[in-house]
Amino acid sequence: MVESYRPEDLRQAMNIRAEKKVLPFAGGTDLMVRYRYESTAVPEYPAPVLFLNHLPELRHIRRIDRGLSIGAAVTLTECLEHEAVPEVLKEAVRTIAAPGIRNVATLAGNICNASPAGDSICVLYALDAGIKLTSPESERIMPISQFITGPGKTVLRQDELLTEIILPDFDESMHYFRKVGTRRANALSKLSITGCVRMNGELIEDIRIAVGAVAPTVVRSPELEKRMCGRKRDVLRAEMEDIFSRYGQLIQPIDDQRSTAVYRKKTALNLLRYFLFELVLKEE
Amino acid sequence: MKTRISTPIERVDAKEKAGGSARYLADMSFEGMLFAKTLRSAEARAEITGVDIPELPDGYFYIDARNIPAGGKNRIDMIKDDWPVFADREVRFAGETIGLLVGPDRKTLNRLRDKVKVEYRKREPALTIDEALALKGGAIHGEDNIYADYHLVKGDPDGAFSRAARIIDDRLDTGYQEHIYMEPQGVVAKPEEDGKLGIYFSGQCPFYIRHAVAGTLGVPEEDIRVQHVVTGGAFGGKEHYPDVISSPLAVAVRAIGRPIGCFFDRVEDICFTPKRHPSEILFRTALDESGRIIGMDIDVKINAGAYESCSMVVLQRAIFSVNSVYDIPNVRIRGRAVATNNVPSDAYRGFGAPQGLFAMEMHMSHIARDLQRDEKEFKTAYLIRKGGLTVTNGLIHEEVKLPEMLEKIDAMSGYSRKAEVFIPGKWRGIGLSLFNHGSGFTGNGEQDLIQGVVRMRKRVDGRVDLLVSNVEMGQGLQTTFRKIAAMILEIPVDKVVYNDPNTGLVPDSGPTCASRSIAIVGYLVQEAAKKLKTRWNESDIVEVSHQYETPDGISWDQETFQGDAYPSYGWGVNVVEVEVDPLTYEVTTRGIWAVHDVGVAIDDKIVEGQVDGGIIQALGYGYLEKLESKDGMYQQRTMADYVIPTSMDFPRIESALVENPYEFGPYGAKGAGELVFDGAAAAFADAVQMAVDRNMCRIPVTPEYIMEVRDNG
Amino acid sequence: MAEVRLTINGIEHTLETDPLRRLLDVLREDLKLTGVKEGCGEGECGACSVLKDGLLVNSCMVPVGTCEGARIITPEGLRETERGRAIRDAYGEAGAVQCGFCTPGMMMAAEALLERNPNPSEEEVREALAGNLCRCTGYDMIVEGVLTAAKRGKGLW
Repeated sequence: MVESYRPEDLRQAMNIRAEKKVLPFAGGTDLMVRYRYESTAVPEYPAPVLFLNHLPELRHIRRIDRGLSIGAAVTLTECLEHEAVPEVLKEAVRTIAAPGIRNVATLAGNICNASPAGDSICVLYALDAGIKLTSPESERIMPISQFITGPGKTVLRQDELLTEIILPDFDESMHYFRKVGTRRANALSKLSITGCVRMNGELIEDIRIAVGAVAPTVVRSPELEKRMCGRKRDVLRAEMEDIFSRYGQLIQPIDDQRSTAVYRKKTALNLLRYFLFELVLKEE
Repeated sequence: MKTRISTPIERVDAKEKAGGSARYLADMSFEGMLFAKTLRSAEARAEITGVDIPELPDGYFYIDARNIPAGGKNRIDMIKDDWPVFADREVRFAGETIGLLVGPDRKTLNRLRDKVKVEYRKREPALTIDEALALKGGAIHGEDNIYADYHLVKGDPDGAFSRAARIIDDRLDTGYQEHIYMEPQGVVAKPEEDGKLGIYFSGQCPFYIRHAVAGTLGVPEEDIRVQHVVTGGAFGGKEHYPDVISSPLAVAVRAIGRPIGCFFDRVEDICFTPKRHPSEILFRTALDESGRIIGMDIDVKINAGAYESCSMVVLQRAIFSVNSVYDIPNVRIRGRAVATNNVPSDAYRGFGAPQGLFAMEMHMSHIARDLQRDEKEFKTAYLIRKGGLTVTNGLIHEEVKLPEMLEKIDAMSGYSRKAEVFIPGKWRGIGLSLFNHGSGFTGNGEQDLIQGVVRMRKRVDGRVDLLVSNVEMGQGLQTTFRKIAAMILEIPVDKVVYNDPNTGLVPDSGPTCASRSIAIVGYLVQEAAKKLKTRWNESDIVEVSHQYETPDGISWDQETFQGDAYPSYGWGVNVVEVEVDPLTYEVTTRGIWAVHDVGVAIDDKIVEGQVDGGIIQALGYGYLEKLESKDGMYQQRTMADYVIPTSMDFPRIESALVENPYEFGPYGAKGAGELVFDGAAAAFADAVQMAVDRNMCRIPVTPEYIMEVRDNG
Repeated sequence: MAEVRLTINGIEHTLETDPLRRLLDVLREDLKLTGVKEGCGEGECGACSVLKDGLLVNSCMVPVGTCEGARIITPEGLRETERGRAIRDAYGEAGAVQCGFCTPGMMMAAEALLERNPNPSEEEVREALAGNLCRCTGYDMIVEGVLTAAKRGKGLW
């Protein structure tokens, strides 16, 4: 029988985590599917389970200096119901699974699961989300793009817990989120795209684009974004085809049981073109 | 004032089910029950050269072909008996049953099963129809991998083709479909106190199980007693497959002497239970100078998988349906059911008709598009009428109300107006399908094979026992059968006693399938009730029975497949309106309309519920339910990856019925359960055709397929 | 093994069990509450739905160890309440029950919705039921059942 721990507070949780090899378990909805064995069986967890979703220190959503801090045990439903959570993130979270799962699943769990098809992850990349990792001895914060290194892979150390997600404030003019799922609801993602932009008249002050499920990790290119920042619409018009085609080189999806590489690529590019040319450049 | 039979009443089982007190098989407890886990082949095609079982703890057993009793046999008696109870020397599909591990703790059984080592000498599998017909790896079945090869001729096709001004070639493909009944499969077998073997199951056909298990064990059928249990959906997936679960289980119970339950995990159910037959249907159609169809040559192939089961009957219905509601002169049809190293294909709502009807509807729409004719106008020129000749040179004996139904659906949906206004290729489309479904078993099945009997017994207290083998599986039979009996006898519905059938207590009125329960057995119930009514005032217990007789005027030759394949037909028209997203090719359905002729509805609400459910299931078949097979294994294996419609995927369905009483149906009723599935996939695909201005040639019409067609012209 | 204290359908229980066991199995096997069903075991179908502290959850996706101190309502509990009876009656009238396997879960989802939103639109009903799959009814009559329960159940929610 696999052991499980229900620590009384975060300190105790961190100590257990630092001392033993355990499986951090927030909502657990990804873990219970991944390790599912069979009907009526306890899932086959590879290590003792560390329950976290009851810890009061992890259950906050609060404003911090120029940003929002979301605790690791905050559920997707709680994100949807909190007025400070950015609307673009809510749009993505609304498309994840179904009410019963959202009532239990956590944003932190989604991040640690690091699925290339994670819809919330796509938005979190665009929002420059910071990930706080805590151990008894250390605390570090890093961008989500540094935290996730590949499908199912993160740099979480064996003695660390993900304790907070930090969303820097982004004063937006407009955002765009689109998920293409296997059906209208309760659907896995074939691909998703997030675009956020802040305009100052005709000038693009800040633009972020993230595309999910079309590469081993979410595609976001600071280099290409820099080419667009600080540029006026009519100047950018001449370059946009080139920028667009470079995004095309970064989008390298695969065939799997949900969709095909050809479909994912073309559709991602269609949506990206729509965002860049119609929404940002406001072409007809 | 006389109440109409069709007036809805609340389903007799609704409250119990809604409140969670209905007991499905896994909710029941059987004292001392052990569990069985199935050891399955990991290879699609191989010889078994060794099976190494780990040492088993006390109370754990391994059961295989060696445990089949003397006098029994390692073959399951179904429509054919080629499917072994246990694979012993060879396996023909990935997932085939090799043995059962039995014991008290499921987790231990799982561990033991993980330790079993099966050694295979692999052979080259034939996984597609083409590979099988090319005899890749050698023949799996017989000499040519063909379970059944049928030929039909109507009129003079050769003559027609020699006169043709133009010939149009077309090909339509349909894919696998998994039933996804919400309750996974399960069977419990136990030694009963009186020495018989008791079988408890979720499914459709108690007497099929009795027959199969008796054959396996080599005992008289009366020694097996099968009890139907409340069933959480079936749709044909639990028509024959429970025989495949029960037979090895019965062998195990015989050997061990304890009750044993075999409950399928959902992934196991998706991976290894039978699916709808994929089809490849080729048309070669001859047109004269004016664009009139003068002949057709149709080739139907269905992928039947590793064992035959009911494939020959599915093929029969497919070829009998492949001209849909049209009276086409001069037709040649060839049908083949092909053996491949896949999970055997088997019954699923429609049973070959959805494949044939889809193909014909799409082909007709393709010709109309090619000739730039209005689709509805083009199709209606060929509608079959009363007295018209079917592809088996039989007659339509009934009034065909399709013209009236088309008018009605046009008023409901605005089809004609929209078809004129929507510009092809501008992302909005509206599609139309017409279809029919023969009620009851194909051909001579009812008369010669089933010979269904119902019994009715009036108790002294005035309640009436209805004794039939047909079961409630969600389609409302518990309610509709009671309504028929109660109305004839003029007693309240709750005075009719209709328990879940037990083969020890009821006669064999036949299986619950083929849209026969109301159409055929309901009539027997009606007639038995009429008999009982004449004896109502007798003071003692009164028992009557009534047996099936082919109605006068119906003639059929099973050898030549000539004559009236079905005594009556249900008819339907569907309209589906869609919008296709030009960026993602996702299809949003904006409207769904349906008009059906099921004779008379025994209960309007129950029929409407069947229409709703059948159409949504068919839209899943047409749009969402992709099921790919690679190396003999399905690639979509979980309910996350095998995508059925949710509450958000489709809008409300607007439906209506037209009455067209059938003389030999109860209160004029005909079959409905499958008819309501048959049309929606074609209507959907047709709508997409208009929206993207391209022919659609296969289902599911996924966004990936639409993109492929649009980009490759 | 550990002790887990929770309330089920208003009754307090102290269970001695493996905290990693799924709540679904604890309910069905230990407490014989078989109203919850296993349709998929992967959180897709909703046939195992219960209310946990007022929230709709799939009991196949909840380890009993996370239910310490929780209030659980199962179909057996819901059907004893006026609200449960109102939903059940509305479903019966609407024709929402066919094979019945999804129905207890649908009842729980309806209650979870109406508790928060006593007057939902059709769109909101469909969204609330999106995690409960049905293969028999095509959903229309279930949606109608929820809307009827909302209309009839004045003052209940």
